[in-house]
Amino acid sequence: MNLHMDFMGKRWWMLGFSALVLVVGIGAILIRGLNFGIEFRGGTVLTFEKAGTVSTEQIRRALEGAKIEGAKVANIQPAGEGSYIVRVSEPDATKASAAYQKVVAALKLTAQETNVTTIGPGWGKVVTNSAIMALLWSVVAILIVITFGFEYKMSITAVVALLHDAGIVLGIYALSGREVTPNTFAALLTILGYSLYDTIVVFHRIKENSGRIVKQSFMQMANESINQVFIRSINTSLTTLIPVIALTVFGGETLQDFAFALLIGLISGAYSSIAVASPIFAMWKERDPHAGPFASGRRCEARGAPGGRMGAQARGRVRSDGAALGGLLGHRRAHARRARRGLGCRGGRVPDPRPRS
Amino acid sequence: MDPKQQNALALALIGTLAVVSAWLLWPLSTSIDKGLDIQGGLSVILTAKPMPGQTLTAEQMDRAETIITNRVNGLGVSEASVQRQGTDSLLVQLPGIKDAEGALKALGSTGRLEFVDWASVPASEKADWDAYLTAANQGKATDRPKPLVEGTYESFLGGETVKNAVVSTREGGQIVVNVEMDSAGAKIWGDYTTKSVGKQVAIVLDGVVQSAPTVNEPILDGSTQISGSFTAEEAKQLAAVLESGALPVTLEASESRVVGPTLGAQSLQQGLIAGLVGLGVVCAFMALFYRGFGVLSWVSLAVFSVLELGILALLSRFNMFALSLPGVAGIVLSIGIAADSSILMFERFKEEVRMGKTARSASRSSTRHALGTSITADFVTFISALVIWSVAIGPVKGFAFTLMLGIVCDLTVAILFTRTIIIMLAESVVSKMPGIFGLRAGDAS
Repeated sequence: MNLHMDFMGKRWWMLGFSALVLVVGIGAILIRGLNFGIEFRGGTVLTFEKAGTVSTEQIRRALEGAKIEGAKVANIQPAGEGSYIVRVSEPDATKASAAYQKVVAALKLTAQETNVTTIGPGWGKVVTNSAIMALLWSVVAILIVITFGFEYKMSITAVVALLHDAGIVLGIYALSGREVTPNTFAALLTILGYSLYDTIVVFHRIKENSGRIVKQSFMQMANESINQVFIRSINTSLTTLIPVIALTVFGGETLQDFAFALLIGLISGAYSSIAVASPIFAMWKERDPHAGPFASGRRCEARGAPGGRMGAQARGRVRSDGAALGGLLGHRRAHARRARRGLGCRGGRVPDPRPRS
Repeated sequence: MDPKQQNALALALIGTLAVVSAWLLWPLSTSIDKGLDIQGGLSVILTAKPMPGQTLTAEQMDRAETIITNRVNGLGVSEASVQRQGTDSLLVQLPGIKDAEGALKALGSTGRLEFVDWASVPASEKADWDAYLTAANQGKATDRPKPLVEGTYESFLGGETVKNAVVSTREGGQIVVNVEMDSAGAKIWGDYTTKSVGKQVAIVLDGVVQSAPTVNEPILDGSTQISGSFTAEEAKQLAAVLESGALPVTLEASESRVVGPTLGAQSLQQGLIAGLVGLGVVCAFMALFYRGFGVLSWVSLAVFSVLELGILALLSRFNMFALSLPGVAGIVLSIGIAADSSILMFERFKEEVRMGKTARSASRSSTRHALGTSITADFVTFISALVIWSVAIGPVKGFAFTLMLGIVCDLTVAILFTRTIIIMLAESVVSKMPGIFGLRAGDAS
């Protein structure tokens, strides 16, 4: 099913929309800040399920009766029928546990349907550090993988799309005031990997098509590549979204922690591969002076910039920005072939729409 | 090997894997161990904090682990576990514990090692421990008596005087533990051993008697050799206990979760419902969109699920895995990833057939191409999961693990099963009945 949609023609609209959402999101992060969970701040969360007719007032009194020293009851939040989530600033596990037992006894509940989580004071730093380290390593690993598999311009635009997705997820967390937990970070990192899934599908096709002789500009070729893979991109995103939506709807508290971040990230990831990564990559390629012949829209063999660039080198132009690693790795043979043939650029050939395989 | 044999081999291989997995999975309710957040209990991460101005060493962590393992065993919880997390933390899991407060107190205190005058211990407790130690010496396991009650016995020397304790082998192959004490300790030890030749002295950690050797001669230089019928393992444990007295770290509960069993079971149920609904809707979607191939993907997804769960069951048998809630999230997400590989292959196949290739040649080239894309894309997701797994502490590790496993199973099923079936179908059924595979008549002729 080949669609004929002019994605690239609308690239400024798409990029503009992304920029707008990002600006709002980052603005929200700066102004409202993120609502970090107790894992980052230290403290205790008590969860009561099936508390029946117990009221918030009764819980408050029971907590006061338990006399948690130096700790304030931050809030008591109903979570569904007869369920409550109570946040207390007590960071000492033993004291929190003792207090909780008194509360359970005072409310005449059983320990069967309760849950108490206490996070010590120094823990937040450890969790934050490990989240930041994980993020950095992920990005580095992804840059390396894509550079080797494709080329460095693709890896950089892919990372731009990733950061876009991460920014949007965190922005929505800031806007909605939803609690950020370590699970949120794990989901965010997964999205960084997963949002690349679509991007890689598109880039794979662009790379494949750029090896063909087509009477097109690079932009047109990229647009056609997106059209060719659009349906499968949407379908792969949908099949991943479906289980995640199921988690959001049916999962309990912990599972929803993952699911919410995954949900936004997946949607943003599917959008960014088409609306952010591909147009930025194509525009970057077109701006490359050495990709000249087809950048200006002149009909030419669109072998993709690596070929064009190598061709430019072969004609004696000097590059100043360092050779693309991907060009060196992935396309060396194609370059050599083109260089040998003398790089005719004008007499364009008839487009061959068949995917090569 | 010709292609037909190759296909048959691939199917035989994946079939065997699936059958073995299914066998491992049986019975489903008990084959996969459940983590604490599901079965309920106390889960604590204890982080070692060195004294100010000191750094934490690997040996100190080994000793801390020994102490904590000792204490956990002392709590008498079955299936309790102590695991290293990162460089400075221990994850302690106590399933089904009632008295979380007491357990936390017991785990959190600093190790208290004492040398006790055995004669000073109240008779009833002494008799219990003597019986226990004798049985342990003969390799017969009995229930350990209650720890000694502090203050009822006379401890003449504290563990902080021990400089080091090492296991060595004497001539004749007897395993012994050599203990070095500092000068202050050596003095007290010397005085005590001089007047107590022939008497027993007990080495006690947190009230638990570890060993009760008899003094053979006065030891004046603080260099003691403890001999007995140790196995190498027992000697190592005793040495670790002795060294723990000098442990210059405190252990703090940096994360503690007490989960009620009903709440945990309910969470698992919610996860299962989410997983099944997700799987069902994905299957329906695939059938609607890809017709015959969609139905084929049901089998792929089923094989995938059996494989992933089977491996988890296998790891559970070796106590290497326990399913946590984040782990459930990882499994549910990997359902989506598994469907993706099928989609890439089906789409590519349809595309190539539409461009005029025969079904036969399209099936080979399209699966090869689509697998290339799948592998690259899965690889990147795998890397992210690997990063989470190696950096994360606590339950998030479980999420990264099931996700990584899901990706590996997905690729295995895609390469061995989905690809082979597409090729086999393309050679027979697809060209005869293009309609049911979502192709127009004539496309695949």
